[in-house]
Amino acid sequence: MNKKLIALVLAAVMVVACFALAACGGKTTDPTDTPSADSDLAYIKDKGTLVIGITDFAPMDFQKEGSEEWVGFDADLAKKFAESLGVKAEFQLIEWDYKTTELDGKTIDCVWNGMTLTEEVKAAMDCSKAYLNNQQIVIVPADKAADYQTAEACKDLQFAVENGSAGEEVATELGFKITEVENQASALQEVAAGTCDAAIIDSLMAGAMVGEGTSYANLTYTVGLNNEEYGVGFRKGSDVVEVFNAFLDAAIADGTVDAIAETYDVQAALIK
Amino acid sequence: MTQFFQQFPVVFQSLNVGFLQTLKLFGATLLGALPLGLLISFGSMSKFKPLSIVTRLIVWVVRGTPLMIQLLIIFFFPGLVWGKPIWGGGESGRFLAATVAFILNYACYFSEIYRGGIQSIPVGQHEAAQVLGLSKSQTFFRVVLLQVVKRIVPPMSNEIITLVKDTSLARIIALQEIIWAGQSFMKGSHGIAGQIWPLFFTGVYYLLFSGLLTILFNRLEKKLDYFKV
Amino acid sequence: MAILEVENIHKSFGKSEVLKGISFSLEKGNVLSVIGSSGSGKTTLLRCINFLETADVGRITVDGDTIFDSDAPSTLSARERRDKQLKIGLVFQQFNLFPQYNVLDNVTLAPRLRAKERADYKQNKKQIIGEIEVKAKELLDKMGLSDKLDHYPCQLSGGQQQRVSIARAMALEPKILFFDEPTSALDPELTGEILKVIRELAKEHMTMVIVTHEMTFAKEVSDHIVFMDRGVIAEEGRAQDLFENPQSERLKAFLNNLKN
Repeated sequence: MNKKLIALVLAAVMVVACFALAACGGKTTDPTDTPSADSDLAYIKDKGTLVIGITDFAPMDFQKEGSEEWVGFDADLAKKFAESLGVKAEFQLIEWDYKTTELDGKTIDCVWNGMTLTEEVKAAMDCSKAYLNNQQIVIVPADKAADYQTAEACKDLQFAVENGSAGEEVATELGFKITEVENQASALQEVAAGTCDAAIIDSLMAGAMVGEGTSYANLTYTVGLNNEEYGVGFRKGSDVVEVFNAFLDAAIADGTVDAIAETYDVQAALIK
Repeated sequence: MTQFFQQFPVVFQSLNVGFLQTLKLFGATLLGALPLGLLISFGSMSKFKPLSIVTRLIVWVVRGTPLMIQLLIIFFFPGLVWGKPIWGGGESGRFLAATVAFILNYACYFSEIYRGGIQSIPVGQHEAAQVLGLSKSQTFFRVVLLQVVKRIVPPMSNEIITLVKDTSLARIIALQEIIWAGQSFMKGSHGIAGQIWPLFFTGVYYLLFSGLLTILFNRLEKKLDYFKV
Repeated sequence: MAILEVENIHKSFGKSEVLKGISFSLEKGNVLSVIGSSGSGKTTLLRCINFLETADVGRITVDGDTIFDSDAPSTLSARERRDKQLKIGLVFQQFNLFPQYNVLDNVTLAPRLRAKERADYKQNKKQIIGEIEVKAKELLDKMGLSDKLDHYPCQLSGGQQQRVSIARAMALEPKILFFDEPTSALDPELTGEILKVIRELAKEHMTMVIVTHEMTFAKEVSDHIVFMDRGVIAEEGRAQDLFENPQSERLKAFLNNLKN
């Protein structure tokens, strides 16, 4: 009697679990199936908001001291883009690991946060054309910077890298010893605390966070390890990508992008 | 040190906003889970077998899986599977989803505590009430309930203090509670970056609040000290 | 006419038949004691009459009113059944007082809840509650507990608790009061106070049915004795006759065992 009951219960759970997994799996592997595939643009216009998935990441998306408003190179451009669609820009902080899930689950409409266009990102979402150059660069304590000016000189260091980041990818390719941490800030923290010798982070972030007059005055950046590009991610099959690319061309042509870039000191990295 | 004093007001402000969210989630969870737990405990004790089996099955699944997964499923499932995000936009949507997940999870834990409490009341209490002509609901509310309350105060206070700290799990769906607020200063937020002390400082909030709860529960226990069960 | 008539009660738990056709009756104002070794079915009989168990077969009549009949399934509402049930009261072996209420509230709880069902409750609330309390205090006074009204059960001795539970049962004015081994849970030096109370109730011609192990007491206080053995009434009769001149071998053996 008891065994029968247990068997029955287990069977029921399996059925529920299989259903749930099948349902999830089915959708993610076949994204054209989502109703939004018809027209993501219409969906966004219909609800009247463009929900922009971000993390707190100066100088792309950040809040100034004492202000709740999101500003930055990405944030300001995003506001202009939303305006061009006739909808409200809504900035939504997300867990970076769940960016694709957030997109697919429609809890955000795009990822626009200094996102490096890696192979993984391009496979998971439909991306805009690149709008900004970036580099993965090596961060070391300022007093030791002279010793580590080439990639070759750095090869015996212990590197802190963000788990799953472009930095980790580069470090692995070069055969560096790495410690994976949660985000780029943690990587800097490791170097500052002396628990790692060096870190690899985005050059755009390094410009804002490392060196004289920043939070990490004792750290500095030395060698650039690669070249990469930032883009905006949309849902698979979204028709907003084309609209965005057209918007970007126009914004570059009329100088809007230049003006914003100057505000945040990233004009050198612009892709035109 | 001067840097610390410059940063403190900004961090303090931000942590307060985060802690308010923590408190809201805590309060909403209690408000929903305390009564829902009682319903679930009645379901699991029901003499109608299918109901009690289904209820116990749900309790088993909810208690047997991490709250973090439940949060992710509840938040993302509608959008991913039905193509329709039901929680609404912005922070309030995430708060709603988190609240639903927490209520469901904690109601299941509470229901087991209730069940233990109710079943530990001697059968003689029910029999005495019955021969004195009390109805079933009078027996429950006039005779059994307060005795159950007295018995479950210690395990409930444990669970509720755990809830205070569990609220931090909601950051997984980017609910900006106090841990999120504290962590944001590591990466950089409001012009402050590379600071880990705000994260450590959130511990003070948790400590003070759970201390307050401990005092309240001790008072309640004292209040119920006048009788023995 | 008998105030209590019990006819042909059968009760089984699973395969074991605990009561195999019990019948007896009791006159108003009389005291009946049920004796027998443990496992003889006397407690089950008492629980069947008090609706704590449902008899499989049989009929129970109190004061001319059938309160249970296995042949005529009850069409009564829960409340009507409770009203009938309240013609009899029960005092438990383990007292079963409500720990969170003080002595007075233990006694008044049931009458107060019952009073709420009265049509005139809302208009005369104060007066009704007042009457209930006066009566409860009288009962507790009779039990020698006037100075304990605001004590909680945990502050009382076993004997005091049992006296409260007797007052609690009497507060609903039952026509018959049942006792389920009322002194078994008490220390020997405390049984006397309970027996004294029962003795006094007997003097006032309260109709009582007592399941007990106290043979001397049963002999002294009872008008009638029922001796049960293995689910049947093996012998019954006047107290004097039964103890001094037992007829059945079983009763003889039972009484002999007690002496040794």
